[in-house]
Amino acid sequence: MPNQADIALMAHLMRRAGFGASRAELEERCAKGYEATVEELLNPGADSGIDEDELYRYFPQFESSLAPVAAQTEWVYRMVNTKWPLKEKIALFWHQLFATGNSKVDNPPEMLAQVGMFREEGLTNFPNLLVRLAQNPAMIYWLDNNGNHYGSINENWGRELLELFSMGVGHYSEDDIKEASRAFTGWTIGAKPPRQPVGRFYWSFEFRPEDHDYGEKEFLGQTGNFDGSDIIDIIVKQEDTARFLSRHLYNFFVADEPQVPAWDITPPNDQAAIDTLVKAYMDSNADIKSILRVLFNSDFFKNARYQHVKSPAELVISTARMAGNYNQPRTGFPLLAFECGWQGQELMNPPSVESWHTGSEWIDGGALVRRVNFAAKLLSDTSLPGVKAIMAGLRERGTLSPAEFVRACLDLVGPVEVDDGTFQELLTQAQQGGDITWDTEEGAAESEKRAGVMLALIAATREFQFA
Amino acid sequence: MLTTIASGRVFDYSHCLGMYSTSGVGFLVPMDFALGSNDTLYVLNRGVDEITLRISKCTLNHEFIADIGRFGMGDGQFVWPMGIALDSDENIYVTDENTNKVTVMDKDGQFLAKWGEAGSGEGQMRGPSGIAIDGENNLYIVDSQNHRVQKFTKDGQHLASLGSEGSGPGRFNKPWGLCLDAEGNVYVADWKNDRVQKLGSDGRFLTEFKGTDDGVGSLSRPTDVAVDSDGDVYVANWGSHQVQIYEPDGKFLATLVGDAQTPSPWVQDYIDANPDVAKARRRTDMEVEWRFNRPISVRVDADDRLYVAEAVRHRIQVYSKERDYAEAAINL
Repeated sequence: MPNQADIALMAHLMRRAGFGASRAELEERCAKGYEATVEELLNPGADSGIDEDELYRYFPQFESSLAPVAAQTEWVYRMVNTKWPLKEKIALFWHQLFATGNSKVDNPPEMLAQVGMFREEGLTNFPNLLVRLAQNPAMIYWLDNNGNHYGSINENWGRELLELFSMGVGHYSEDDIKEASRAFTGWTIGAKPPRQPVGRFYWSFEFRPEDHDYGEKEFLGQTGNFDGSDIIDIIVKQEDTARFLSRHLYNFFVADEPQVPAWDITPPNDQAAIDTLVKAYMDSNADIKSILRVLFNSDFFKNARYQHVKSPAELVISTARMAGNYNQPRTGFPLLAFECGWQGQELMNPPSVESWHTGSEWIDGGALVRRVNFAAKLLSDTSLPGVKAIMAGLRERGTLSPAEFVRACLDLVGPVEVDDGTFQELLTQAQQGGDITWDTEEGAAESEKRAGVMLALIAATREFQFA
Repeated sequence: MLTTIASGRVFDYSHCLGMYSTSGVGFLVPMDFALGSNDTLYVLNRGVDEITLRISKCTLNHEFIADIGRFGMGDGQFVWPMGIALDSDENIYVTDENTNKVTVMDKDGQFLAKWGEAGSGEGQMRGPSGIAIDGENNLYIVDSQNHRVQKFTKDGQHLASLGSEGSGPGRFNKPWGLCLDAEGNVYVADWKNDRVQKLGSDGRFLTEFKGTDDGVGSLSRPTDVAVDSDGDVYVANWGSHQVQIYEPDGKFLATLVGDAQTPSPWVQDYIDANPDVAKARRRTDMEVEWRFNRPISVRVDADDRLYVAEAVRHRIQVYSKERDYAEAAINL
């Protein structure tokens, strides 16, 4: 049996590198060891654990529908049921960084294809990702590169590539934007049949040499007949790019930072941690897997417990995984997708190319009520497999005093680490029923009922809102 | 190609039916369909996420008649409808893979009955999908997650079970659709075994359809099967977006890949009413639109016309089997 500290650390890793894990999975992973688990997460196998044929048998609308919710639901299904959670988590990271919205793209299958690219390529290297992003039809349409022509540039993609996707404000000039835009002329989308009236057709990337500006460009102090790939090669070698991406990785995986628009005037909360990630970036030629290996094995990561407000997607997916009742095809998956939106994160439809504001900005009065109600409803349902497993874990601990009962529940749900004030609140409630016993049928039923209430209360704690 | 010639047979693309639509004229994620009297067509639409689910009742002449049923657990409602068939009175039988029930309605959609119990015992079902009705109004239902076919009276009384889980002769792995021939033999799309099996009405294994060992005429997750008056067998090869055709003894004949070069009248109306759509269709290669995308259900009518429903294209392509085809000179 692993010790409590190891379990807590593994739980932390799985909340950040995935969407949480059951107690049984945590114990199994602890037996393998922390670093071995990091390696396993970073090196996912090809088999996601999801039978693709069965997925489309039971959810034919995932392939057939023109509705955004169908695409959102397919991604939710994959996040809940993958056996390689970091693949989905890194897809969510890139989706939040390279924010592309169906509000304009108006093509859910293409949005899903973009997420699929993030899933499959998300742990490769940054230049590869940026090239694929520049050639991604949804992104081309989202940032108007299909309107970026030789002799008549559209700067939208070139500007956001530098400002939001790689270097951050203040590290390039307006001329650099124009020159980068010239380099991406001719990178466009091929014509396809219109969506109606027999369903969707996929776009494809198309390079049109006759529309490409082959002339000399001056970009970030270098001169040459650059094309888009050359521009990306120059961008990814900049230390400013390393700093910008490192801060995004820190904000997503380690601890909440100030909102991105403030980054050029507000230093990182942990400059040394960012420096470590920057070094990993430069040493590895921007290899994402190498940077994440350094990140997950660092002390600054291991010590950053509960310093990251769960995004709506993280809260919804992790709670559904814990409840264990969404582990196969069933009705109700669209509601999980809707729930993310109701809590403020409509997947594949961020509010703008600046993406969602994160951290404490996920929380407002309405969102908090939704978050608490959603999690409390699932975790208090003692008929659900995941909750049953928690009950079994409680039962194994035998008779429990109210304080032991609260600690045991916190342990089995997370472990969730709460401050003294929260603990006292939970204890006050637990004391109303006295000891937890399992000796008689009536006593066990009552104990289970009280445990369901306690799990709902834990879901309502401040700490449960954090990962 | 519009005309497929193979070993003494000619399969000629005729026309197509349907279009994408959330209600009324058109289909949305068709799972199965049934051919009724007087050219009536009943298309079972899964719809999207609890809305737009319905049976579209229309005619083979492109006339819309009515939408029947909707999502729900109540009478005349469905959750995951999978198969549809008609009895001799043209009452409609629909299987529901989620509720494990069979719903019976009259041809106008009036609810008549609902039966079925979840489980793996005799007469119980887990994931009922394909359904076919014999000349005596007995029902053959694929009991998919129990890996068998069950035979019921039209009132739901269990008569027999055919097959069990496995990959050998007469065994199944999550079968999906099925059909009957004139002799009462049962053809089952053995979905996860990538084959179609032909069983006698008593369940005895007769033959299988899966192409050759080197892959010619192979099947990938076949969802449905139909047989014509010559005994030729048509399989909706869902996993590879084709229809495979076999001789009665299992010998592979031909592959259809979809040929909807001419829009259905409903589609044409839509194009005519939307000039931008007409323009967009002129600026690109439309071949991708002609081809099957998730062919999911096949039927053959009394004139040996083949009907193929496509889940992702929301339409049905129709082929005729030519009897008096004369080949054009090769040197034209």
